Amino acid sequence: MTTGQTSAESSGTPPSSTQSTSSFSPLAIARQLVRYPLPLIGTCIVVLFILLAFIGPMISPYRFDELIPGALSQPPSLEHYFGTDRLSRDVFSRVLWGAREVIIIPGVATFIAVAIGTILGLALGYFGGWIDEIISRGLDSLLAIPALVLALVMLGTIGPSRIGIIIVIVLLYVPIVTRVIRSATLNIRASGYIEAARLRGESTAYILFREILPGVLPALAVEAALRFSYAIFLTASLGFLGLGVQPPSPDWGRMVAEARQNFSRSPWELWFPAGAIALLVIAVNLMADGLRRIFRYEGQMR
Amino acid sequence: MKVSRVQHSLIRLILVMVVIFVISGAASAQDNVLRVGMEAPVVLDPALGSNDPETALNRAIYDYLIEVAPDSSIVPNLATDWTISDDGLTYTFTLAEGVTFHDGSPFTSADVVYTYNRLKELESSALALLGDFEISAPDEQTVVFTIPEANADFLYGVASRFALILKDGTESPNTIGEGDDPYASFNGTGPFLLESFDPNVGGRAVFVKNDNYWKEGQPLLDGMEHVYFSGEAVTAFDAVTTGEVDFIYKVPTSLVADGVAEGLSVIEQPTSQHGVIRLRTDVGPGTDPLVRQAFKYATDRQQLNDILLLGRGTIGNNDPIAPAYGVYYADDIETQTYDPEEARRLLEEAGYPDGLEMTLYVPTAFEYVEMATLLQQQWMQAGINVTIDQRDAGLYYDTSNDINYCNVELGITGWGDRPVPQLFLLEAYVTSAIAEDCIGGFNETRLSNPELDALVEEAGVTTDTEARADIYRQIAEIFNEEGPIIVPYFANMIGVASNRVQNLTMAPFPGLTDYRNVSLAS
Repeated sequence: MTTGQTSAESSGTPPSSTQSTSSFSPLAIARQLVRYPLPLIGTCIVVLFILLAFIGPMISPYRFDELIPGALSQPPSLEHYFGTDRLSRDVFSRVLWGAREVIIIPGVATFIAVAIGTILGLALGYFGGWIDEIISRGLDSLLAIPALVLALVMLGTIGPSRIGIIIVIVLLYVPIVTRVIRSATLNIRASGYIEAARLRGESTAYILFREILPGVLPALAVEAALRFSYAIFLTASLGFLGLGVQPPSPDWGRMVAEARQNFSRSPWELWFPAGAIALLVIAVNLMADGLRRIFRYEGQMR
Repeated sequence: MKVSRVQHSLIRLILVMVVIFVISGAASAQDNVLRVGMEAPVVLDPALGSNDPETALNRAIYDYLIEVAPDSSIVPNLATDWTISDDGLTYTFTLAEGVTFHDGSPFTSADVVYTYNRLKELESSALALLGDFEISAPDEQTVVFTIPEANADFLYGVASRFALILKDGTESPNTIGEGDDPYASFNGTGPFLLESFDPNVGGRAVFVKNDNYWKEGQPLLDGMEHVYFSGEAVTAFDAVTTGEVDFIYKVPTSLVADGVAEGLSVIEQPTSQHGVIRLRTDVGPGTDPLVRQAFKYATDRQQLNDILLLGRGTIGNNDPIAPAYGVYYADDIETQTYDPEEARRLLEEAGYPDGLEMTLYVPTAFEYVEMATLLQQQWMQAGINVTIDQRDAGLYYDTSNDINYCNVELGITGWGDRPVPQLFLLEAYVTSAIAEDCIGGFNETRLSNPELDALVEEAGVTTDTEARADIYRQIAEIFNEEGPIIVPYFANMIGVASNRVQNLTMAPFPGLTDYRNVSLAS
């Protein structure tokens, strides 16, 4: 930390950005990835899935709700890569279309939750005082509510919808993100360069977003990736419980729930969406793990 | 890796389930208690509770005066004998002797008089077949019904599944109270006593044998449990497969199409039970008969039967009179053709040249959600674009909720078996069955057609079978031309029972199944 402080005081630029240019050098990261390639694989899978969420519908052989005459519960074949389901729909096409539901909804929700949580966390950590006490304790009490219970109550009352799922995820994750960012902010606030900026007469917004935010970025990146993976899991769980998007949506969770009834006749109807959820969640977790390793690497350099 | 709270709660859920399975598995191996899986009951008053779990609960605690056997014949019960006057206007019932209620008080004719008058007071759906009647008790063992005009189905009215004999003066039966005996108001003469009761999904009703039951040697079981599942059939099916329960009904064809696990048997029973796709006739597009016709032409019943029932059902028309009714079913009426072009033309004529947008509400029961998914595709060909809104069956049939089967414009509703076709018509399709929140009358479509009303009334007093069949044919034709319902097919009621269960005859309305002679092999 000493070097950082010195450089900040002398140059007036946020120390963490200086740090990141030195310690996040592509070479160092590349070396890290070669030594431990799983995060890279995870990231590639995540990117692939995100790509599918956008172009899936264009490359899928059928529409997700298209009934194929005479193709009832057929096993996987060259014609239907993942087989057909109990209503004679192409499972491969449904999984492709479903990527959209399972990635975009949690993605948007995570983005909103992280954005709100970051601003709130920065503000609470920086200003402190009794407002911080009240809001933080309030958020802590929100944390005590089990995720699925809150989701069931909310979606049960407002009815299942995409917006509803996003609201639930945001409500659940804002307190968690806020807490992480707040504690990271508290650490940084104590540093001398924040004091220096204040003495220089910088505006509060400048201090929050130019001085502190870069410092909490590592925590933020790891947290965002983790939240994304849990959001995917939660969305799929809600779909499974029938609280997700309405039929005939190819939401993977819903597909798994619906396929259970037909498991003895066409198990492939369950395998593929379930496998897709598992693969995606594992991949996002690997990615988060990679981010953590990269930032810890930074820590070792100091 | 950190374990999220989602994963935590799932793990906890799984652990709890494992524990429950182990406990219930261990218990079922020891005792002579039958466990039946079903949906959760909502309306507990015997005069009003209409669905399977409600009826099953009441059937265990109370008795009927006379009963409808699974083959639709009328058999004696608390009334051991009856006579009908020559003019068909006076019915005299002789009551069984030595019958006592669970609280020890004797059963007399006053209880019967009270019960039937209460049905009238509450405008119970039992009145659909009973019609107008007076009841009196000349002595303790005799009751006399007098009716103003002949009623061909009067005995079926007396045997209504709402007509459970209550203790004279019982004001709010089946109310869970407080104190030492919270179940005191569940006071019947029936084969089982209620020991504990949690009417929520995941809860159960626990019954113990009534040792003083008036039928010698019955019930054979030491007890019975009703285990309440959500409407999702696969949950109940998993439970019967793992042995958590011994018997379930309302099982979708697809679950048993390739057979069931060892130690289980499939029971099939032809019934008049069916799902209707129905439009409101008082609000929304369904007010226009042209739109109703368009929906009929846009529905491919053959495809629904082929995919959902693997071709095992009988294609239906647009009325509730099922093939199970024998002579009353007009099998020569031409089945509705599937013609999306005609549907499109009708919509245009009705003022929807660009098609129609609606929400199709569907309860999570039977194969209805799948049916909705197929209908969405079929109707799209005719320019009818529907959004599916799936609802938990328990909530959907509870009319105190904002969105329920009684108030949506377009929905799928499951109708349980009725012993006579007259009941469907009287309960759901005549003007007098229009009731607020569908309590006391289930006219969910608000159909009000004077011609139909008159025909139904005529059928009610016509005792000649052939003449009656002819009236039902005319009724079916009215439904074809302007009715607000589509009956895609009639399916068998399917139950799955453990092979341990002996002597079980599933009723066509499975909530009415009689468990008094059922036993469990060890």
